[in-house]
Amino acid sequence: MTADPILSVAGAVGGYGGADILHGIDLTVGRREIVGVIGPNGAGKSTVLKAIFGLIRLRQGSIRFEDQDIAGWPPNRIVRCGIGYVPQVDNVFREMTVQENLEMGAFLRREGLEAALERVYVLFPDLVEKRRKPAGSLSGGQRQMVAFGRALMLDPQLLLLDEPTAGLSPRYCEQIFQIIRDVRAAGVAVLLVEQHAKQALAFSDRAYVLASGRNRAEGSGADLLADREIAQMFLGG
Amino acid sequence: MDLLSFLNFYLVPGIVLGSIYALGAIGITLVFGVLRFAHLAHGDMATMGAFLVLALVAGTGMNPWLALPFAMIATAGIAVGLHWLFYEHLRRRSAILTVIASLGVALMLRAIVQVVWGVDSLTYVGGIVRPESYFGIRIKDREFWTLAATVVLVVALMLFLGYTRWGKAMRAMSDNPDLAQLSGIDTRLTTILTWTIIGLLGAAAGFFLGINTELKSLMGWYMLLPMFAAAILGGVGRVEGAVLGGMIIGIAEECSVIFLPSEYKSALAFAVLLIMLALRPTGLLRGKVL
Ligand SMILES: Nc1ncnc2c1ncn2[C@@H]1O[C@H](COP(=O)(O)OP(=O)(O)O)[C@@H](O)[C@H]1O
Ligand SMILES: [Mg+2]
Repeated sequence: MTADPILSVAGAVGGYGGADILHGIDLTVGRREIVGVIGPNGAGKSTVLKAIFGLIRLRQGSIRFEDQDIAGWPPNRIVRCGIGYVPQVDNVFREMTVQENLEMGAFLRREGLEAALERVYVLFPDLVEKRRKPAGSLSGGQRQMVAFGRALMLDPQLLLLDEPTAGLSPRYCEQIFQIIRDVRAAGVAVLLVEQHAKQALAFSDRAYVLASGRNRAEGSGADLLADREIAQMFLGG
Repeated sequence: MDLLSFLNFYLVPGIVLGSIYALGAIGITLVFGVLRFAHLAHGDMATMGAFLVLALVAGTGMNPWLALPFAMIATAGIAVGLHWLFYEHLRRRSAILTVIASLGVALMLRAIVQVVWGVDSLTYVGGIVRPESYFGIRIKDREFWTLAATVVLVVALMLFLGYTRWGKAMRAMSDNPDLAQLSGIDTRLTTILTWTIIGLLGAAAGFFLGINTELKSLMGWYMLLPMFAAAILGGVGRVEGAVLGGMIIGIAEECSVIFLPSEYKSALAFAVLLIMLALRPTGLLRGKVL
């Protein structure tokens, strides 16, 4: 548990309309904390993020962000209150330019667009020369950066990242992890779903292990890495 | 046949018809792209726009070209109204339901036109128009203004989509609706905006067809196939593609009478559509796959 969490999910139960996928998930994210979520494919990791972001409705449970109960809020209200979300797939506007992708991330922003663009370009210098190119024409790593940058355009307090390094070369993975650290250093809390479990545990302040829509373990990244049972189940021995 | 008579008898009318198809096809491609269904009422919406101009001309005696902007705005209102009354409720259901609903809307609009204005052919202004001759190329005033207005409307739309906040929102919604929503774009307002534009351009297409030929209650319905063919030919979801496709089909239809009996003119769009779907279903400019 965290003393003064920015986000806390308690007893989340829900799914996509058919059978429940989440069977009572609890998790918290503290201020300026990087919290990892790992677990096998189909564990419900992406579904938790979608539930937090209002893309699916929970049948039970609560989601508190800052001092508000945001369960049941539509996504555009959730973006407005300070949560950024990078989905696992289809996370750029392919036919729009890199810059337009970023502008769409700031759609709700009435002023300070230039300054926000500037901040994102400082974090992702690779994107500067590509800014007039359609996002669909970029490499996977650069596309992931566009998606990441888009989510930062409204200066969120909390970022939800769904497998931001999936399928990327080690060079890009390292770059993405470095940017997550930079973002946290700027005061943003991060909830990070990762398939590279070992890397994620080593990188996170705390982590949760999910399986079949339930919490299986939680603790500091280092403790989970050292746990034999977890190592056998999820880290390939 | 010499070059000048080719230009005068085939190419100029082809380009005029092409502009009409282009404006119609833009509407179709926008519904496809942003809202993801085939809008079968598009032709009859154009008919409605053409007859609204007639109503203004008959009621106030104003010049039809001056009446056009008012009719465009009224048709945009009708388009938004149709969305609210019929299509909005089906948003979460399978797209085919919306397509069928739009067929019902098409029949309904046509019935209204037939009840109010009858089934006979009408014209905006009587009399014969003589074309002006420019270096041997003969073009009627109304043809010139049709082309000019089409260029203005298309350029305005491109600038809107390319450079304004809401225009970009429309493109974003066409590109990736889920991501648009979770970026905070108000997809309901974007949808209403899309219908507004569809109504504006649809009325213009109907009016241009009416002023260059005549007004009939079925005029828009007959235009539906070439408009769809133009949208698919150019690449679904692409405005430039719809313009290109409209021009190609308009010019091809007018030129087809050189070597085909004129009864086959309207079959041409169908042939183009079939060939395109077989060879390159994404269209000339790589649109969405249907
Ligand atoms: N859109 C959806 N509709 C229905 N079921 C889904 C959908 N997305 C995921 N699921 C199901 O929910 C379960 C959890 O999926 P997900 O949260 O994506 O897992 P993870 O991200 O941990 O790999 C899986 O069994 C998957 O089949
Ligand atoms: Mg996932």
